[in-house]
Amino acid sequence: MTTPASRKLWLGYAVAMLWFFVLLWPLLGITPEGLEFATSFGIWSKVAVAAAIILALWQLKQRGVFGFVSRPVEALSDSLGKATGVVPTWVWLSLVLAGALAFPLLTERYAHDVAISVLVYVCLGLGLNVVVGMAGLLDLGYIAFYGVGAYTYALLSVHYGLSFWLCLPIAGTFSAIAGCIIGYPTLRMRGDYLAIVTLGFGEIVRIVLNNWMSLTNGPNGILGVKPPGTYWWSDGKIDHIWLGSLEQFYYVILALAVCTVIAVYRLNNSRIGRAFEAVREDQTAAELMGVNTLRIKLLAYALGAIFGGLAGAFFAARMRFVSPESFTFIESAMVLAMVVLGGMGSIPGVILGALALIALPEVFRGFELYRMFVFGGVMALMMLFRPKGLWPAKRMGARSEERD
Amino acid sequence: MKRALYLLSLLLLVSFVAVGCGGEKKEEKKAEAPKAAGIKIGSLSPLTGQYAADGNDIKNGVLAAIEVMNAEMGPLGPVTLQAEDTACDPRQAVAAANKLINEKVTAVIGAYCSSATIPAAEPLMAAKILMLTPASTNEKVTESGHKYMYRTCGRDDDQSKAAVKFTQEYLKAKTIYLVDDKTTYSQGLADNVEKLAAAAGLKVLGHEHVNQGDKDFSAVLTKVKAAKPDVFYVSLQNSAAAAPMLIQVARMGIKTKILAQDAVYHPQLMELAKKDAEGVFLTFGYTDKETPAYKKFAEAYKKLGEPGAYSAYAYDSAVAYLKAVKAAGSTDADKVKAELMKLEFEGASKKIKYKENGDSGSNYVIQVVKDGKFDNFWNPETGELYKK
Amino acid sequence: MAPAFHKAHKHVEFFLQQLVNGITLGGVYALVALGYTMVYGIIQLINFAHGEIFAAGGYMGVILISWLVSQGYPPFICLSVALVLAMGYCALLAMAVEKLAYKPLRSSSRLSVLLSALGMSIFLQNGLMLTQGVYDRAYPGEMVQGGFEIGGAVISYMQIVIVGITVLLLVGLNILVFKTRIGKAMRATAQDKTMSALVGINSSRIISLTFAIGAALACAAGIMVGMYYGSVRYDMGFVPGVKAFSAAVLGGIGNITGAMLGGLIIGMIEVFAAGYISSEYKDVFAFIILIGVLYFMPTGIMGENVDDTRV
Repeated sequence: MTTPASRKLWLGYAVAMLWFFVLLWPLLGITPEGLEFATSFGIWSKVAVAAAIILALWQLKQRGVFGFVSRPVEALSDSLGKATGVVPTWVWLSLVLAGALAFPLLTERYAHDVAISVLVYVCLGLGLNVVVGMAGLLDLGYIAFYGVGAYTYALLSVHYGLSFWLCLPIAGTFSAIAGCIIGYPTLRMRGDYLAIVTLGFGEIVRIVLNNWMSLTNGPNGILGVKPPGTYWWSDGKIDHIWLGSLEQFYYVILALAVCTVIAVYRLNNSRIGRAFEAVREDQTAAELMGVNTLRIKLLAYALGAIFGGLAGAFFAARMRFVSPESFTFIESAMVLAMVVLGGMGSIPGVILGALALIALPEVFRGFELYRMFVFGGVMALMMLFRPKGLWPAKRMGARSEERD
Repeated sequence: MKRALYLLSLLLLVSFVAVGCGGEKKEEKKAEAPKAAGIKIGSLSPLTGQYAADGNDIKNGVLAAIEVMNAEMGPLGPVTLQAEDTACDPRQAVAAANKLINEKVTAVIGAYCSSATIPAAEPLMAAKILMLTPASTNEKVTESGHKYMYRTCGRDDDQSKAAVKFTQEYLKAKTIYLVDDKTTYSQGLADNVEKLAAAAGLKVLGHEHVNQGDKDFSAVLTKVKAAKPDVFYVSLQNSAAAAPMLIQVARMGIKTKILAQDAVYHPQLMELAKKDAEGVFLTFGYTDKETPAYKKFAEAYKKLGEPGAYSAYAYDSAVAYLKAVKAAGSTDADKVKAELMKLEFEGASKKIKYKENGDSGSNYVIQVVKDGKFDNFWNPETGELYKK
Repeated sequence: MAPAFHKAHKHVEFFLQQLVNGITLGGVYALVALGYTMVYGIIQLINFAHGEIFAAGGYMGVILISWLVSQGYPPFICLSVALVLAMGYCALLAMAVEKLAYKPLRSSSRLSVLLSALGMSIFLQNGLMLTQGVYDRAYPGEMVQGGFEIGGAVISYMQIVIVGITVLLLVGLNILVFKTRIGKAMRATAQDKTMSALVGINSSRIISLTFAIGAALACAAGIMVGMYYGSVRYDMGFVPGVKAFSAAVLGGIGNITGAMLGGLIIGMIEVFAAGYISSEYKDVFAFIILIGVLYFMPTGIMGENVDDTRV
C-alpha cells in the first residue's frame, strides 16, 4: 500500500490541504469580534474529504482495480469509435442538422432562448476563429465588431426602417471596415502587444457607444428594433409577416450559423486559408513564398469582423433592443475562451466551446450565487484536462515528425 | 483520445438537454408534492457582477414580503420565490425571464438595470406575466405601453423636480455643478435636473460624466473645486460609488452643499464614508419609520440585513401583487390586474396606488444624513422642514 | 472679473492638483503593473487572475486591520503588521494558483494557459464574493488623517503614505532583482529556462517566487487603494487590472522599469484627460495614446527583452 509514489502523493495532499486551510481561514475566521474556526473548518473538512476520496479513487484506478469496469467500457467505446469511423461524415452531419432542426419541437422556450444564444456565439466564435485560430492573431476586442453590427442594424432599422435582410450585408460591411481600421495599426505588432491594442479598441468602441448620445442614445440603448420579416403563405395569400417568436428566431440564427460554418469551412481549405496558416506558422517563410502578409492579416481581421457583424445584427433583431452593456470586455474574453476551449482552428471544436460556455452558466443557475464560481473553476479544470481544446483541429499536411 | 471526445460531447449534450428539461423535471416534483397549488413568484435582479449588492436588496425585499404575506394567503398559499440572476446583461436577463416563464411563475419582481428590464419585459408580457419593477425609474419602462407592467418606485421626472425645488427654495443656490456615472438611471436624472435647473434660472457650471465602476474622482473633483458651485449634484448608480466620491470631496476640501439622489440611499453609505457622509442631502421617498407597515417590513427584513434603497420598493411590489392575488382569489393575470388597479394601501415605502400606465406615484422629499442616519428633512410640497 | 494674474495662478493651482492626483493613481497602477510584467517576463503569460490577487489583498487588509484595531493596537502597528501579513497571504494565494492552474500547462500553448488564467480570475472573484458578501467592506476609520496645501494643491497624508510605500516597495524590488543572487536567478530564468536549469537553477521554484513577489506588490496596492477610497469590493480588481496591464505593455512588457513608468504615464493621462478634455472619454484617450505609442514603438517605451532588465 505504501509505495514511495503513493507516500509522495499523500504527502502532497497533506501539504495542499494545509495550504488551502491557510488561505481559507483568514477570509472567514478573522473578525473584529474575534477569531473563529468553526465555519472555515466545516468547509475545509468537506473539501478535504472530497479531495481524499477523489485521490483514493484515482490511485485505485492507477492500480487497475477498476479494470473490470473500464476494460469493457473501453472496448465498447473503441468499437463504437470504429463503427462511427465507418459511417461517412455526411451521415453524421445530416444527423446533427436534423437534430438541430427538430430541436424547437422537442423543447420549451427557455431551451430555445439558450439555444439561440449558443448559435449566436457559434457565429461569433467561428468569426474569431478566423483571426485567432487560422491566422494566429490574438484579439481581445472582438466583441467590438459584434457591437458595430448590432448598432448598425438597430440604427438603420429605427431611423430608416430598413429590413433585416438588407441590413445584414450592410452590418457585415461596416464591421469589416471597423476590422480594417483596427487591423491596420496592429500589423506591425506581435503577440501580446496585439492583445492589448485590440483590447483597447474594444474598450474604445464600448465607451464611444456609451457616450455618443446623439447617435447611440448612450446607456439608454436603442429600443424598438424590428425583428426579421419575410413573405409567407397565410390565409390563402402571400403576406408579409414578422419572424418574432423564439422558434422563428431560432431558425433564422440556425440558418446564419450553418452559412457561417460552410463559409469558414470553405475558407479553411482555400488559398487564403492556407495563407493564413502560413502566416501563423512562420511569417517570414510565408513572405518568402510570396504571401503578402500585410494584406493577408488585414483580410483575416476583415473576414473575422464580418461574421461578428452578422451575428451582431441578428442579436439586435432578436433582443429588439441594444445597449452598450452587451459589449463589455468580458464578452470578448468569453468568445476567445470558446475558441481556445473548443480547440483553435477547429470548427466542431468552436461549436462545442460555444455550447459549453453559454449553456454551462445556464445549467449552473441552480447553484444560484455559486453559479459563476463553479463556472470559473470548471473552465480552468477543462483547460487542465484538455489543454489543446475539446476537439483539436487536425493539422493540414502534418509534418512527418508530428504524426502519431 | 477519441474515447474521451465522445464521452465529453455526450456529457455536453446531456447537460444541454438538462437545460431544456430542468424546468419540466422540477415541475413534476412540484406536482407530486401535496400542496400542489401555491403561488410562485420570480425575481430578476443582478445577483452577481458589479451591482450584486442592489440585486440582493431586491431579492431580500421580496423574501421579506413573502414571509409577511404567507400567513395571510390562506388556501392560495404558500408563496415561493424563484430568484434569477440577470447580471445586468440583456442576454442573460432574457434567458432568465424565459426560464421564469418555463417555471410557471405568475409574477416577476424586477429588474434592476433598465437594460435588463426592457428586453426581459418582452417575453414576460407576451406570456401574460405581471412585472412589477422596484428600481427601473426610466420613463420608457411604463410608457412603452406594456399591459402588465407596473412600477413601484418613483419616476425620474418627479425626483428631479423635488431636487431643483430644494436647491432653489431652501438652499437658495445660484449655481450648480452636476456629476453622473453614465447609466440610464443616473444620467437620465442628472440631465433632467440640469434642464429644470437651467429653466429655473440657476447657472449650470458644469455637467461631468464619470465611468461606471470608477473609484477615483479626483480629476473631476478638482474641476468642481475650481468652479466653486453653490450646490454639487451627485447622481451615481449606487451607494458603493457614492461613498468614495464623498470621501474624496472631503479630502479635497470642497465645502459645497451636496445633493444626491435615491440610489445612494443605503446604510452602507455611512458605513463606508463615515463622517464624510454627514450633512449630505438626498432626494428619497418620504419614509415614516413609525408606521405599522414599515415596522412590519423592518421586522421581517431584520434577519436579511439592513434594507437598502430598493428593499422597500421590492417589498411593496411583492406585497401589492400578493394582496391583489388574494382579492382576486386567483393568479390569472387579467383578474389580478383588475384588482391591482383597485388596490390602495399603505406600503413600507409609500402609499401605493397604481395608475393606468402602471406608475404608482412618487413622494419624494429631501432627506439628510445626520449622526449616521437618514432623516426626513424638507418637504417640497409645503416647503417646510420636518420636525424631529 | 479676476485679474490676469489671479487667473494664471488658478490655472497653476489646477494643474498642480491634477499632478498630485495623477501621481497617486499612477503609483497604484505601477505596483499592480509590476506583477503583470514580472510574470509575463518569466513565462510569457498574461495573468488575468492578477487583478483578483489585488482584490484579495484589499480584503486581507480590511480583515486584518479591523481585527488589529479591535485588539487595540496603535494605527501604525496595525497598518504595518497588516501589510506584511496580507502580502504573505497573497503570495501564498498566487503560488497556489500557479501550482494548480498554470504549472500543469507549462508545455501547452500559451493561449491554453491564458484561458486557465481567465477561469481562475472568475473563480477567485466569485470566491471572494461568496466568502465576503456582495456589499462593499469599509476600512476602519481613516488610518492617516488630514493633509496640507502647497500652492493651492491639497495633498493628503494618505497620498504621501501611498507614494511613500510605493517608492519603498519599488526600491526594494529593484534591489532584489538586480543586486541579489535570487534576482540573478530570476533574470536568468526569464532569459532562458533550459539554460538556467542546466546551470543548476530550480526554474520551477523561481517561477513560483516570481508569482509570489508580484502578488505581494499587488496586495500592497490593494490595501492602499482600499484605504484611499475607503472600501473594497470583490470586483475591484478588474478595472485596475486592465489599466495596469496596459501600463505594463506601454512600458514594454517584461521590463520592470518600463512597468513603473507605464503605470505613472497611464495614471497621468487619465487624470489630465479628465481634467482638461473630457472625463467620459478619459479611458479612450489613455487607449489611443497607448495604441499610438505602440504603433511607433512596437515593443513599448522601454522596449521588451532588453539585456537583463527583464524578469
